[in-house]
Amino acid sequence: MPDLQSSGIVAPTVAAAPIRAGARRVRRQRMVALIALGSALCLLPLVLNNYLQFVVNTMLVYCLVAVGFNVVIGYLGQLAFANAAFFGIGAYATGLSMVHFGLPFPAAMVVGTAAGGLAGGLVGLPALRVKGYYLAIITLAVGELLRWVYVHVDKVTFGSGGFNVPDIRFFGPALGDKGKYYLFLAAVGIAIAATSLLLRSRFGRAFVAVRNNENAAASLGIAVRRTKVIAFAWSGLVVGLAGALYAALNGRVSPDTFGLSQMLMHFAIVMIGGLGSLVGSIVGAVLLTAAPELLRNFPGLEEIVFSLLLIGVLFFMPMGIGGLLAAQIPFFRERLYREPDDA
Amino acid sequence: MFAQLIVSGIAVGSVYTLVALGMTILYRSTTVVNFCHGEFFMIGAFAVVVSQQMFGWSVTPSIVFALVLLFLVGAAVERGLMRPLQNSPHIALAMMTVALSYLLKGVSRFFYGREVVPLPPLIGGDPIIVGDVVVLPQDLLIVVFSLVVVVSFFVFFQRTRLGKVIQAASQTPRGASLVGINVPRLRNLMWGVGAAMGAAAGILIAPNTLIYPDMGGHMLIRAFAAMTLGGFGSLPGAVIGGVTLGILENIVGGYVSSSLVEITAYIVIIAVLVVRPQGIMGEWRQDRA
Repeated sequence: MPDLQSSGIVAPTVAAAPIRAGARRVRRQRMVALIALGSALCLLPLVLNNYLQFVVNTMLVYCLVAVGFNVVIGYLGQLAFANAAFFGIGAYATGLSMVHFGLPFPAAMVVGTAAGGLAGGLVGLPALRVKGYYLAIITLAVGELLRWVYVHVDKVTFGSGGFNVPDIRFFGPALGDKGKYYLFLAAVGIAIAATSLLLRSRFGRAFVAVRNNENAAASLGIAVRRTKVIAFAWSGLVVGLAGALYAALNGRVSPDTFGLSQMLMHFAIVMIGGLGSLVGSIVGAVLLTAAPELLRNFPGLEEIVFSLLLIGVLFFMPMGIGGLLAAQIPFFRERLYREPDDA
Repeated sequence: MFAQLIVSGIAVGSVYTLVALGMTILYRSTTVVNFCHGEFFMIGAFAVVVSQQMFGWSVTPSIVFALVLLFLVGAAVERGLMRPLQNSPHIALAMMTVALSYLLKGVSRFFYGREVVPLPPLIGGDPIIVGDVVVLPQDLLIVVFSLVVVVSFFVFFQRTRLGKVIQAASQTPRGASLVGINVPRLRNLMWGVGAAMGAAAGILIAPNTLIYPDMGGHMLIRAFAAMTLGGFGSLPGAVIGGVTLGILENIVGGYVSSSLVEITAYIVIIAVLVVRPQGIMGEWRQDRA
C-alpha cells in the first residue's frame, strides 16, 4: 500500500531548506504578492453590491473551513467525517451563548472557537485508538449524534427549526454585510496565518511525518498520539471559528445546515483544492462557494455536481489544484520549515 | 411486551444483517469500506417502485429487475470507478465511494425531491398471533429471506470451490493471482453481489419505512454499527451484530424513549470502538490504515 506522499494524492511540500539560490527571490515575490492581495481584499467592498458582498463573506467562512479541515485530512492524513460537526458546534456555541447569556459577539465568537477546539480534541481521542476506516465511521457517528442533539434537546437548542442570532456588534453599532466583511477578513487572515505558522513549526512537520508513516515518525521520537490530538484540536479550533462567523453571516442557525450535505461540500472543497495545500484550500473554497447559489433551485443538483467534481478530481487530478500549482510552479510550493527572517 | 420487542427486533435486525453482510463481503474481498452501500439499498427500493409505476410491472418481475439492475450497477462501479484507483491510498478509494453515494442520492433527490414514496407490503395476509406476540407476514418474510441468504452464504464460503477461491483471493490477492485466480473478476463479482444484497434489504424494508432519498444514509450508519458490534470484517459478526442491534433498538424504544431509537446505532459505534474495537467476534485487523 503506497503511502500518501509517494502516491501523488497530496500536494508536494518542501521539508528542508533548499540550497537553490532562487529561494530568496521566491520569498520576496511572496511578500509582494501577499501585500498586493491584502490591499486588494481591503478595497474589494468598494466594487461589490450587497448580494456579491454576501457571497464573498461566505467564501471567507469556507476558506477557514477548508484550511481547518485540511489540517486533519491533508496534513495529518486522517479520514474524519466530523468537520461539519465542528462547524456546527462553533455556530451553535456562538449563537446560543448570545441568545441565552446575552454575550456580545466578540466574546461569543471566542466561546464558539473554544468549543470547536474542545470538540476537536475530544474527537481526536478515539483517533488514538482507531484509525483508517474505523475513524471515519466513529466520526460519522459523532456528527450525526450531534445533529440529533440539536434537534431533540430543544429546550437549549430550539429544536429542528433553529433560532435567530441577535444583531452582530463589534464594539459599536450593528454590522452590515460590509462591516462583517472586514471583521471576517481580519479573523480569517489571522487564523490562516497562525495555521501556516503552525504547519511550518515542528508540529506541522510532525503532522506530515505521522501521515507518511506512523511507525517511522514514532521511531524519530515524535509523540504520535500527542501530535494527533494537537492536529484535531487545532482543526476544531479553526473550523469552530468558521462556525462562529457562519452564525454571524446568516443570522440564523439550524440543525439541517450541519448534516451530510455540508460534509460533502467540505470534502469537495479540500479535494478539489488539494490535500495538504493551504493555497489549494483557499482556491477550492472560493470556487465552490460561488456554485451553490446557482444550484440551489433544483433539489439534488448540488449533490450531483459536487460529487461529479469529486469523482473527476480523484480520476484526473488527485493532487487537486493546489497540488498541481505546487508541482509546476516553485512560487506555490509550500514549505514545512521557517527561516529566521520569516514573519 | 418483552417478547414482542424481541420478535420485532429480530425482523429489523435481519435487514441490518443483510446490509452489513453485503458490506462485509465487499470489505473482505476488496478491503474497501463501501460508503455508498446505503445508496445501493435506496436505489434498489426505488427501482422496484419505478418499474411498477413506469412499466406497470407486477411485484415479482419488478423485484427481479431491481436485483439484476443493482448487480450490474455494482459491477459497473467496480469496473469503472474503483479498479482504476486500485493502487491509490485508502483515502482516495473511500472518497470515491463517498462521492458515489452523494451522486446516487442527488440523482434520486433530483427526480423525487422531498417526496416520500410508499411501497405496499410484498405479501399480504393476517398477522400471526402466538400468545401475546403479533408477527406480521412481512416481518416473517424478512426473517426467512435473511436466514436463507445467511445460510447459503456460509455454505457457499465454507463448502464450495468458488467460495474458497474468493476467500483465498481476499486473504492474499497477490498469492491468489500467482496461482492463477482472476482476482479482479472476483472483485467485480463481489461488488455486484454486494450491491444486489443491499438492494434486497432495501426492497424488504421499504414497505415498513417508506422510500426516500435519505433512507440509505440512515441504513449505512446502522450497518456500520452492526459490523462494528459484531466485529468488523467478520461474516458471523455481521449477523450477530445486525440482530443484536435490531433487538437493542427495539428495547431502547420500548422501555426508555422512542426518540432514542435513532441514536442507538451511533452510541453503539462509539462505545464499541472506544471500549472493544474488535467487537464481539474479535477480528481486528488494521492493515489498511
